[in-house]
Amino acid sequence: MMKSLFLSVLLVSVLFMNSFSEVQGKKWKGEGTTQNLESIVIGRCYDYIGIVNPAVGEKNCSAIWEAFKNAFINKDPCNILPNDYELFINLSFHTIPPNKSLFWENNQLLVNSFAGRGRRYMSLADTLFGFVADYLNWCGQANSAGLDYESCPTTEECENNAVESFWRKASATYAQHSSGVIHVLLNGSVVGGAYPEPGFFADYEIPNLQKDKVSEIVIWVVDDIEGPDIESCGTHTVKILENRLKTLGYDVTCTDNYKSVMFLLCLDYPDDSKCTLSSAVFSVDGSLLSDGPFTDTGTIWSVVVSQL
Amino acid sequence: MPFRPGSARARQRSVLLVGSAVLLAALVLAVVLASLLTHEKQEVGPKMMKWKDRGTTKNLREVILGRCYSYVMARYPELGDKDCLKIWESLKQAFIYKNPCNITSEDYEPLMELATHPIPCNKSLLWSKTSDLVHRYTKSNQNFLTLEDTLLGYMADRVSWCGDPSDPGINYESCPKRSECESNPSSVFWKMASKLFAEAACGVVQVMLNGSVEAGAFRSSSIFGSIEIFNLNPDKVTEVHIWLMHDIGGPQSESCSGHSIKRLKSILEERNFKITCVDNYRPVQLLQCVHNPDHTDCRLCTNTT
Repeated sequence: MMKSLFLSVLLVSVLFMNSFSEVQGKKWKGEGTTQNLESIVIGRCYDYIGIVNPAVGEKNCSAIWEAFKNAFINKDPCNILPNDYELFINLSFHTIPPNKSLFWENNQLLVNSFAGRGRRYMSLADTLFGFVADYLNWCGQANSAGLDYESCPTTEECENNAVESFWRKASATYAQHSSGVIHVLLNGSVVGGAYPEPGFFADYEIPNLQKDKVSEIVIWVVDDIEGPDIESCGTHTVKILENRLKTLGYDVTCTDNYKSVMFLLCLDYPDDSKCTLSSAVFSVDGSLLSDGPFTDTGTIWSVVVSQL
Repeated sequence: MPFRPGSARARQRSVLLVGSAVLLAALVLAVVLASLLTHEKQEVGPKMMKWKDRGTTKNLREVILGRCYSYVMARYPELGDKDCLKIWESLKQAFIYKNPCNITSEDYEPLMELATHPIPCNKSLLWSKTSDLVHRYTKSNQNFLTLEDTLLGYMADRVSWCGDPSDPGINYESCPKRSECESNPSSVFWKMASKLFAEAACGVVQVMLNGSVEAGAFRSSSIFGSIEIFNLNPDKVTEVHIWLMHDIGGPQSESCSGHSIKRLKSILEERNFKITCVDNYRPVQLLQCVHNPDHTDCRLCTNTT
């Protein structure tokens, strides 16, 4: 009787442990490597040099992929260092036009839109080395040439992981080769501070700016349309940033709610009072109304309704 | 052999012999060289047809595959069942080794079947003469989809391809312009993709037109005017909303009450669609103001410096 009880307890615990280990089977807490990573990286490389920005000239996209892969393949995924990507950077590097660099914190999608695919500004994601890796995830494993598609370490689990080290190296390179007027777009509605420390801009970009190549640093602090105005120029972390840059010897200007960016944010909130345009409109019959200020109730639409 | 003194005829004969030997050698050399040169030319493919437009995009296969995987991964994870390799193969088969002036919609059938996917209702955004603006808009506002935001359009955007009957079957040097022949790979592709995109639309359909164009905002010769409006399904589509945009500081050639818009309205009404039209749809105008923040049309009501 005791034996059968013991056996059933044993059985149950073994089963429990099995299912437990299945759930806990993933090595790391982060998402695994992006599927078809190689095809995506190589495809994006040819896309960039052939279509997105042909001005960068010929690049060897297969060699770029190999260098990228060799930075983290067959190694402890918690021991990948930024300089492991040195060859990748050397092969994919191209100059950044002066006055086009755009740094940012806490507003990635906004920056993507604002940069205009590299036409207005060239953010890191608009360079070849940033473009091929943007939004992707990857890691390898020790003693195996394969990519880990199951899971990858988060930065909390270990700092020196493949993705973190990549962006550290890419950010440093980007900063090093930026010149002319440098722009930084910060989010004034974020609780942690518009200028986060630690952060990529603070730790990997500012230290790599070249004093003799940079003529001015322009800071834009923009609040979310319906977000709180937690920080602005001259306050809190923005003040810390301004002081740091001035101490380093840079010419610094700061603007709150830079209009161009505001318009972009207004896309999702066209009826917000911050977004109301005072432009002229057409009347129903199509004739132009004279210029005049608008009430906050919004633009008058010209609507031509068909028969029902 | 000892020289026989005094034999002039013998000397003449030997000169002739030497001379003809040299001539013969030269001839042989010339023939060999000529055949070598023409052989090389043949390898390069002098038979490939020459056209006026840019040739097939370099590394087309890698670009298409990369875009396909990127799209499936990043933008619409629920499309996980798309086989990008098959999609590439079906695209290639549509044009490789074929005369690029003889492409038919049948050629693209397999590709279209593999790569089309359903579009959520109320999200279709058609357009005409507003390419730059409409795509900046969908990039910033994921509520709407143009054809170029679907898998098919995303893969093909800004890319070109055409074949040729001679090796290697793909023409990287040039491809036919529409003016050279209508049934070229690009025109046939976009016409077919546009037709399917219109057919897939449901609910409210949006259209962005350009009211600053001299020739009129709505043109029957455009893909929108000749294909898309005729392939909207009245059983699925409830309303058509027209956004008539003027360039900031640009001419206001036409507005919602203009001639071509009236014509468009009557075509759509005949097919039983409800239509509305708005001049300078505000969210899109705000996008235009990003590049013209100081223009008088972009003055904000709230106080700005």
